[in-house]
Amino acid sequence: MILIKKILQSSKSVKFGDWFVITLFCALIIISAKFLWSLPQGEYLEIYKNNKILATYSLNQEITKEINGTKGKTKIIINNGKVRFSSSPCPKKYCIHQGWINKANQTIVCIPNQISISIVGVKRGYDTINY
Amino acid sequence: MRLNSLLIFILISFLFGCSDNKIHHDKDFIFGTLIDIKIYGESKIHAEKVSNEIFNEFHRLHKLLHPWEQSLITDINNAISKNKSIPINNDEVISILIHAQHLETQTQTLFNPSIGKLIKLWGFHSNDHEQETIPIQEVIQKLVSSNPSMQSIQIKKGVLKSNNKDVQIDLGGYAKGYALDQAKKILTNNNVENALINIGGNILAFGKHGERDWVVGIQNPRKPNVLATITLKPGWAIGTSGDYQRYIMVNNQRYSHLISPKTGYPSNNTQSATVLIPPSKSSGVLSDVFSKPLFIASKENKIKMANLLNIKQFLIIMDNGSILISESLNKKINWEDDIDKKNITIF
Amino acid sequence: MTLSTINITDRDHQIAKLSAIAVALSLVEFFFPSPIPGVKPGIANIIILYTIFKFDLRMGIWVSLIRVFVTSILLGSFLSPTFFLSLSGALFSLLSIIIFRNLSPKYFSLISLSLIASLAHIAGQFIIVRLWIIPHNGIFYLLPIFIVSAFIFGLVNALVTSKLLQLNSKK
Repeated sequence: MILIKKILQSSKSVKFGDWFVITLFCALIIISAKFLWSLPQGEYLEIYKNNKILATYSLNQEITKEINGTKGKTKIIINNGKVRFSSSPCPKKYCIHQGWINKANQTIVCIPNQISISIVGVKRGYDTINY
Repeated sequence: MRLNSLLIFILISFLFGCSDNKIHHDKDFIFGTLIDIKIYGESKIHAEKVSNEIFNEFHRLHKLLHPWEQSLITDINNAISKNKSIPINNDEVISILIHAQHLETQTQTLFNPSIGKLIKLWGFHSNDHEQETIPIQEVIQKLVSSNPSMQSIQIKKGVLKSNNKDVQIDLGGYAKGYALDQAKKILTNNNVENALINIGGNILAFGKHGERDWVVGIQNPRKPNVLATITLKPGWAIGTSGDYQRYIMVNNQRYSHLISPKTGYPSNNTQSATVLIPPSKSSGVLSDVFSKPLFIASKENKIKMANLLNIKQFLIIMDNGSILISESLNKKINWEDDIDKKNITIF
Repeated sequence: MTLSTINITDRDHQIAKLSAIAVALSLVEFFFPSPIPGVKPGIANIIILYTIFKFDLRMGIWVSLIRVFVTSILLGSFLSPTFFLSLSGALFSLLSIIIFRNLSPKYFSLISLSLIASLAHIAGQFIIVRLWIIPHNGIFYLLPIFIVSAFIFGLVNALVTSKLLQLNSKK
C-alpha cells in the first residue's frame, strides 16, 4: 500500500484520461458484483420443525442430514443444488414422492412429522405458491 | 490516498446492493397444513406481534371448527346423528353455518359441507391417509341417496336441528378461506397495510409488496415446480382444489379428497381448479369454496358453474393435462413452464 | 548455392534479454503461493509493458509470446490447460493493446493501457475457463474478485513500469 502511494506521488504522469479508465473499471467491479453476486449466492436450504428454523444448509454440497421430527427421524439428501426427502416416518411418504427441488421458494412439507424444507434465494418471480 | 478512498467507495457500494429486509416472514402448522405469513414494511416487533395474533386466531378456529377432533362442530354432528337438537351459543358458528347453507344452494350442491360421513368413509378424517381399500359401493350408495344437505339444518333461536341423520358437517372446504377473512381483520386492526397470507396454498394479498403487487406462483399439479405466476392485486384471494393435495392410493390408483356429493366418489376428471376472487368481505371464503364446484363439475358444466358464480378468473387443468382458462385470467397470467399453447382453451 | 546465415541483430539480443527476465519473473510468481487460485500479480507483465513503451509493440509481442511458451516448457505444463490459459490471457491483452495503443498520450498514460490490458487478460482467461475447464455458470461468481485483482495489479504493474521507464531514461 505504502509502496503504491510512494510511486503514485513520485510519478506525475497520472493523466485525466487515466482517471476515466479507473472510474470505468470501478463501475465494472460494482456492477459485476451486484449482478453476479445477487443471483445464485442466495440459495440455501432452511429446515423447519413446526415454525422454528432448525438449521440452514448450503445447497452446494453432497450430504445427507437427519432431522428429528415429532414422529421420528426424517432424512434429507442435499446434492449440489437440489434437495429431497429420502426417508421419513410418515405413512404416506408424500414428501418423498415430491422428489428433488432446486429453486428458490420451493418447499416440501412432511406434515405428520412436522418438518418442512424450503429453498431460500433471491426472489425468483413470485412471493409464495398457490397449491 | 486516492486509492484508499476508492476502495472504501467500492466497499460501501456493496452494502447498498444487499437485499431489502423489509419482509417479516413467519410460518406455522395449523389446519393440518403449512401457514406462511409475510408482512411488509413493519418493524420486526410489530410484525411478530401481528403474526402471532393471526396464528393464535387460526389455532382458535382450528379447535372451534375441527371436522373430526372434538369441537363445536363434532358436538353438533353428534346431536344430528342422534336426531337431537342442540343449542349453539356461538354467533360466529351460526353465521358460518348459514353462510355455508347459502353457498351450497349457490353452487347447486357441488359445494356440500354436510357430506362428512362420505369424507370419513374414504379415510380423510385422519391426519394420515392410511386407508388401504376403497369403501364398499353399497355403503357409498346409501350415503348418497340419503341426500345429506345443509338445507336440512334449521337454526331457530340459537337451537340447531336437522331432520337428516346422515348429515355430518365438515367445513374443510370453507375454514381456511374463513381464516383468511379473519386475518384481514387482524391486519386492519393493527394498522398493517401490506401482507401476504398463505394457508395451505389458499392465499390472500393484503396491500402490496412495497412498490409492486404481490406475485403468486401456481403449482404444477404433476411436477414440483411452478406452472405460472399471477399478480394478486390488493385484496384479491386465490384458491385451488387439486387432486395432488390429499389423496389415498389404492392399487396404484389415486383417489383424491374432493368427493362429489352426487356420486359419492372422488371426482377424477380434473387435476386442479384455481379461482381468483376480487376484494370483498368474504373473498377468502369464496376463494376456498368456489374452487370445489369447478373441480367437481363435469367438463361441460365447469364453465357454466363459473358463469353462475360470477367467477371471472379461473384456471382448470383437466385430467389429461389440457387447460381451460378464462379470458381475463389469460391476459394476466405468466406461464413459466414450456406450456403447449395448443392445449389451452380460452373462455 | 549460398549458405544463408541468420543475422542476429541487437534487437534480437534485446528481445532475448527481456524475455529471460519475464520468464524468470513468471517462475518466481509460480512458486509464490496465492490465497485465491488464479489470482496472480502478473509481474512478468511489467516487462512486457516496459518493452512496449521503451521499444515498440512488435518487440512486446515477441517477449510476451516467448514468455508464455518458455515458462510453460520449463514448468512442464506445455499444452496443458494452464498453458492455454496463459496463452489466451496473453493474446487477449496483446490484442487490447493493439487496439488501444493509439490513445492520445495527452490524456492517457500507460496506466490506462495497463488497466485495459489487465482486464483483457483476465477476460481471455475467463473465456477459456468457462468454455473448457469449468463449463457451467458457477464460475461467474468469481468474476468480481478477478476484476478487482486485475484492477489492483494492473495499477501496480503500471506504476512500477513507469518508474522503471523513468529510471532508465535518465541514464
